Amino acid sequence: MLELDDELMQRFQKGDEDAFNLLTRRHQKPLINFIARFTGDKDNAEDLAQETFIRMYKAANRYKPGRAQFKTWMYLIAKRLCMNEVRNRGRRDRFRVDNIATNDKAYSANDEQIDLIATAPADAAFQPEVALERKELRNAIQKAIAELPEQYRFPLILRDVQGLSYDEISKILELRSGTTKSRINRARLMLKDKLKPFMELL
Amino acid sequence: MNCLQAEENFSAHLEDALDYQMLQRFESHIAECATCQREYARFSESVKASQQLPQIEPSPYFMPTLQQRLAEEQRESFSFWQRLQRVFVMPKWAISGVMVGLLIMGTVTFLYHDDWFNRGTQPSDEQISTQGTGIFSGSPINNQFLPRASGSSDFSNTISGQPMQQHYTLKRVSYSTVSTGGGL
Ligand SMILES: [Zn+2]
Repeated sequence: MLELDDELMQRFQKGDEDAFNLLTRRHQKPLINFIARFTGDKDNAEDLAQETFIRMYKAANRYKPGRAQFKTWMYLIAKRLCMNEVRNRGRRDRFRVDNIATNDKAYSANDEQIDLIATAPADAAFQPEVALERKELRNAIQKAIAELPEQYRFPLILRDVQGLSYDEISKILELRSGTTKSRINRARLMLKDKLKPFMELL
Repeated sequence: MNCLQAEENFSAHLEDALDYQMLQRFESHIAECATCQREYARFSESVKASQQLPQIEPSPYFMPTLQQRLAEEQRESFSFWQRLQRVFVMPKWAISGVMVGLLIMGTVTFLYHDDWFNRGTQPSDEQISTQGTGIFSGSPINNQFLPRASGSSDFSNTISGQPMQQHYTLKRVSYSTVSTGGGL
């Protein structure tokens, strides 16, 4: 039994354009999030996500269902595009995190889920200072992630932001399972140290 | 287990991936090491925080733009060049070779053609107009008015304040008009 993604890819390979449109709809959000977290630039993330889909579209006839997951293939292409992008870009905009952090409209639904101030009273969400602290922490996390070296940033985003399995991450990053695990642990330790000033507040 | 080994197992413990023996060793170290206890608490807190980062919503333009670009891709995949390639059954490098050859032949023909070469060295209206300082510089429409302005020198003087330069410019324009007229 084929997965839905594979089935859609097979239909597209047989000439059904709508099948590919459906695939892009299914995966647009995680892809944009992955790229935005990696590059620290939301606007550019959409361009890179489009480029990823276009490359997949062009190379679709080489895709073999079952051999690799559509998702794995997508992240693999996106990873390469992100690396080129970061290399081509100057340091000046490398850590442009503001446009992600200030996009409050997109975040409002998820704001309440952020259980960062676990010890705060229940009505704390309505206090402006607390909201500011949350926003600051969110910015700090995004900045800290964007500052991690590439080999730690990729697995951390794939694991903790995208929620992929270690197995999937190993395939995308072309790493052995043990290396993936130790890199994710190391990345998290780095992040913990970078966020220390904020953790003292808790 | 020492502190370093405990640290290496933070993720595994957090994700319930330690075997029984390791779990015992880890937990007994944490129980007696205040530093690791504090660091592990911070570790779990920061992992939780990054896992709960809000998701970015794609903009409303994302899908329409993508669909447009994909439609362009589809059209391009049966582009003129691909069809041409199929007709001649030529590899890409051969077509490139033919193109380069044509380009070289074109360049050689161009260089040996006197009329073309000379026309390129003539001053254009654009170049002349940049030498004017007043309102006459810029668009070709203004240049057309220049010969008429030369008759009323008072008018051009009041505007530019530089009679000598203005006069020079006007002379150049009339030369250019005559020569282009002759050429055609
Ligand atoms: Zn310790």
